[in-house]
Amino acid sequence: MNTAKATTASATNEAAGGAGDKPVAVGVGERARRLLGAAFAALVGLFLLAPVLVTIASSLTTTSYVTFPPKGLTLHWYAELLNRPEFLDSFLLSIGVAAGAAVVSTALGLAAGLAIHRYPFPGKSVLDRVFSSAFAVPTIVLGIGLLQWYAQLGMASSPLTLLLAHLVLTVPYTVRLVLAGLAGLDRSAELAAAGLGAKAPQVFWHVTLPAVRGPLIAGAFFALITSFDDLTIALFVVTTDMQTLPVRIFNYLQYNYDPTVTAVGTVMVLFAAVAVVIIERVVGVAHLFGADPER
Amino acid sequence: MAATARIADGPALRPDDSAPAPKVPRQVTARGPWRTGLLLASPAIAVLALLFIAPLFMLVYNSFRTQAGDPTLRNYTRFLGDSFYRDVLWHTLWIGALTTLGCLVVGYPFAVYLRGRSPRARNYLSLVLLSPLLISMVTRAYGWLVLLGPKGPIADGFHAVGLEAPKMLYNDTAVVVGMVHVMLAYMVLPLMGSLDRIDPALTPAAKGLGASGWTCFWRITVPLSLPGMLAGSLIVFSLTVSSFVTPAILGGPTVKLMPYFVYTEATSNLNWPYAAAIGFVLIVVTTILTAVYARLLRGRGGKEVFA
Repeated sequence: MNTAKATTASATNEAAGGAGDKPVAVGVGERARRLLGAAFAALVGLFLLAPVLVTIASSLTTTSYVTFPPKGLTLHWYAELLNRPEFLDSFLLSIGVAAGAAVVSTALGLAAGLAIHRYPFPGKSVLDRVFSSAFAVPTIVLGIGLLQWYAQLGMASSPLTLLLAHLVLTVPYTVRLVLAGLAGLDRSAELAAAGLGAKAPQVFWHVTLPAVRGPLIAGAFFALITSFDDLTIALFVVTTDMQTLPVRIFNYLQYNYDPTVTAVGTVMVLFAAVAVVIIERVVGVAHLFGADPER
Repeated sequence: MAATARIADGPALRPDDSAPAPKVPRQVTARGPWRTGLLLASPAIAVLALLFIAPLFMLVYNSFRTQAGDPTLRNYTRFLGDSFYRDVLWHTLWIGALTTLGCLVVGYPFAVYLRGRSPRARNYLSLVLLSPLLISMVTRAYGWLVLLGPKGPIADGFHAVGLEAPKMLYNDTAVVVGMVHVMLAYMVLPLMGSLDRIDPALTPAAKGLGASGWTCFWRITVPLSLPGMLAGSLIVFSLTVSSFVTPAILGGPTVKLMPYFVYTEATSNLNWPYAAAIGFVLIVVTTILTAVYARLLRGRGGKEVFA
């Protein structure tokens, strides 16, 4: 075997007609391929970030219409937001419902996750199945189903009905995250703690809970974002005088499109960014969506 | 997920076992009473039963009723008997297929690229990949509205080189671009998982036996990442055909898709039974399609690729 010294520009990796005696080397072809890969990845990154960048940029324009690139820079549209109490009301409603959904779905997710993970009980496999199929049902269909169901029950729209509706979107995720966290917990650690005399609550507090702390926080923030951004379900549950922020924007944009909306959008992006940084710090964002093909 | 694949616990530690050891609390024993499990799970079960199962049953029940509440099959005969609605169904599936294909074409090279990066770079790129899912759908869609619009940067680019900019808004193009943008993460993440599971020694081994880079890619990487492709495609397809917001904003009323009609029938026409029927048709069709697709590919995407 001749070791390759092919680093000159003229050398392509093709040894003349030599079969079976190819040097395994990092040649020019390899480098070109790497460069190509990086360029491609950069393009994909641009594609992914473009709408956000456009939204942020056009919220700073001095024109009274949305344009990109923005003409001049101003924070006028953010000031304008303060003159629109309906946006603030919607924001507060959205935040309140989202916070509630986050807390409740975290608690439910932890309880259900523990139950599925370690207790045999009737209907357990059905429950597991339903949890994994819950997000296969189209949200729009769920929305109209809830609309008709609430009407049947005679429940008027309120922040509570909205919160309950959002639980269907968030609980399956929190359960999944908790289960993933518990799968990584070695049972013998709990048994050891118990064997050393720890009481059940102590075992739970000092051994079990730390193992799922990351997934719980991630699940809570995921639920927060999901509920805060939901439009599909909210469209069916809201009323004219109770509109979440996405619904408010959606309706506002039916008739006018000025930079106020992009300012609101930017505020929402910042809000999501903070949440993501927290999730990333705690568990890593990729865990949220890690669909395992080997299910 | 991995909930079912649990390692069988060792010998059951019953509280009355082994005299010297302190009592092992019931909570920690493997075979805790089923009541505890049911109690813990009950709030989640209640939520699912009352807010997921019940509304879906309500929906199916209503879809077989007239607006006055009498039993009827008319909602379904109307949908299936009208070529307009049949076209809507086909068009929905078509957009779903295009989006899935687009995600594969963009996502596969991206996943392969990610495979060779350092953990840190992967983390940052994953964040970029997930960013569309973490910003408001409304914001996202209107960002595309500006980008694809007749005065947007893409149109400007066409004008700069002296070309007529194609119509990129309120048509299938806009919807597919917007959908690929949202769905890319759902394709890439399973692909990454699949690619990571490939034994890193395989490619050098093949190269040592004289295979070229392309041969390695087509004969090793692609077949072994089929499970990831399958999972990603299933998720992307089923989420796309049921998406409402992005197609509604980017496609407008001219791009007629099933979720849009579910919405308009329910809110504008106030025909709940018909909206329910359309929604139920959507569920049934996507379920059948994804089941068939999974069945067709499962045999080929398994571990016996080299058979």
